[in-house]
Amino acid sequence: MNTAPLIPQQMEIVRSPGARPFPPRVSTFTRPYWDALAEGRLMTSCCGGCGRLSFPPKPVCRECWSEVVVWRDLQPTAMLYSYTRLHIVPGAFRADAPYDIGIVDLADGLRLMCRILPGPTELRPDMPVTMLTLMYDDGPLLAARPSR
Amino acid sequence: MRNAAILGYGAVPVGVYQRSKDGRDTPLEHELAVRVVLDAARMAGLGRTDIDGVVVAHPGDHTRQGYFHTFLTAYLGLKSNSTVVQVLGNGMTAGLAFDEGIRIVATGETDCALVIAAHCETGTPTADHLDYSIRLTGDVDFQSVYGAVPISWYAMVARRYMHDYGVTRADLAHVAVKNRRQAIDNPLAQFRTPITVDDVLAQRMIVDPLGLLEVPGRADGAAALVIVSEGLAKKSGRPYVVVRGRGYHHEGEHQIADRPTDMTHYPSIARAVPVALEQARMTLDEIAMFQVYAPCTITEVVATESMGLFSRGEGWAAAVDGRAAFDGARPVNTSGGHLSRGHPPEASPLYDVVEACIQVLGRAGPRQVRDARTAMVVSELGNYNAALVHILEAQA
Repeated sequence: MNTAPLIPQQMEIVRSPGARPFPPRVSTFTRPYWDALAEGRLMTSCCGGCGRLSFPPKPVCRECWSEVVVWRDLQPTAMLYSYTRLHIVPGAFRADAPYDIGIVDLADGLRLMCRILPGPTELRPDMPVTMLTLMYDDGPLLAARPSR
Repeated sequence: MRNAAILGYGAVPVGVYQRSKDGRDTPLEHELAVRVVLDAARMAGLGRTDIDGVVVAHPGDHTRQGYFHTFLTAYLGLKSNSTVVQVLGNGMTAGLAFDEGIRIVATGETDCALVIAAHCETGTPTADHLDYSIRLTGDVDFQSVYGAVPISWYAMVARRYMHDYGVTRADLAHVAVKNRRQAIDNPLAQFRTPITVDDVLAQRMIVDPLGLLEVPGRADGAAALVIVSEGLAKKSGRPYVVVRGRGYHHEGEHQIADRPTDMTHYPSIARAVPVALEQARMTLDEIAMFQVYAPCTITEVVATESMGLFSRGEGWAAAVDGRAAFDGARPVNTSGGHLSRGHPPEASPLYDVVEACIQVLGRAGPRQVRDARTAMVVSELGNYNAALVHILEAQA
């Protein structure tokens, strides 16, 4: 477990043995997102025209349809909007059951869904959470857990 | 545009048809479809050669037969000069099939359309079924990878709703109890034994905070409608149900927006309902009952609040005090709804139309809404952010 902050946006990288149960496809466009995540950095696309952030990152701005997008680092701090624990799970995720997923609102104003890891306190809506990289043998996924 | 009318309907009881017990043979999707088509045609007094347009709901992803619509059309010996088409739209699939059946009649493209939905999934084990379902839960590369299943979104809405309004799981459980009470007298319902709030709370968790009786059971089913021009319906001398209004809205998000929004409200429903009411020249108070696509307890709560039936934060209380019961002021899901009538997803909205017809034609027996002539059917997608609303009225 690597907890040393390298740059302000550096996230903790938590090792998760084995392969990702349902691995994402990485495209030419989304490659920088996954590479950064593997290094403990959370990035997304930002419209070069109107400045709107998008998540997931996309090669077009949903607002003004500009195709000029740049990559932006995001702060790994967020609030937990809601969450659930899955007891009945897809076959691919059987080894993980039960597990928590949640909707988090990033300090940068974006909402996303990710895995929620146990933290020092019980989960409840509106609690502060910290984003982290969940590093599997075959690549990274994003997760959050209650802030210390 | 002219009025379209439902002249016949048919449905098999929702249940487990394809999960083989002790190696017994099970029926196929198109065999169930035949039963409901013949029932609907007999009720309409129409035969094979009277039917023209054929609209088939996408039969569910576990159906082995591909191109189900042209296959089924041929299986039934039908020919068409208007359209033979298969419709797909998430949980709204059968609602959109109904909508398309109305459209081809209302535009004059045909005088007689057949709408069919047959959904079978119980032959596929739950874990395998969910392996497919994760592809239906948002962005497949950025959200499905975390192992969400469709009802986990409802669970997160429930968790947030409980937090925002200070209600408990027991409060929400009343919706399941109310719907079960209504299913007891519905011969088409999958679950008909009475339950209490304690029974609901005693079940194992499926997607916390929703337990076994707060989420839909796995189910197969089939339903069909015969839709004709109102002129033809009148000429038949039989009772029929006219489509008076229609509203639709999709708010341009797939599951969650990438900006914070209030997920305890369904804006698409709030937009589509007034459109349908205006077209029907009716008010909410003139609608006798509401059939709402609601796979989970929380879905019925949020959907009915978004429709304007109950105040925000009070949708669950309407199940407690009886306002949402079949003999209440605003009856909701008189069939028992998805939780008790049962939920074969690609067919459920058609079952909701069938229940609306049964009610407005006065055929509901012990669960009959008194003097009911009008109904609203809401086919909606929850956090997939779309809603389709129809208003129906009996002409008997």
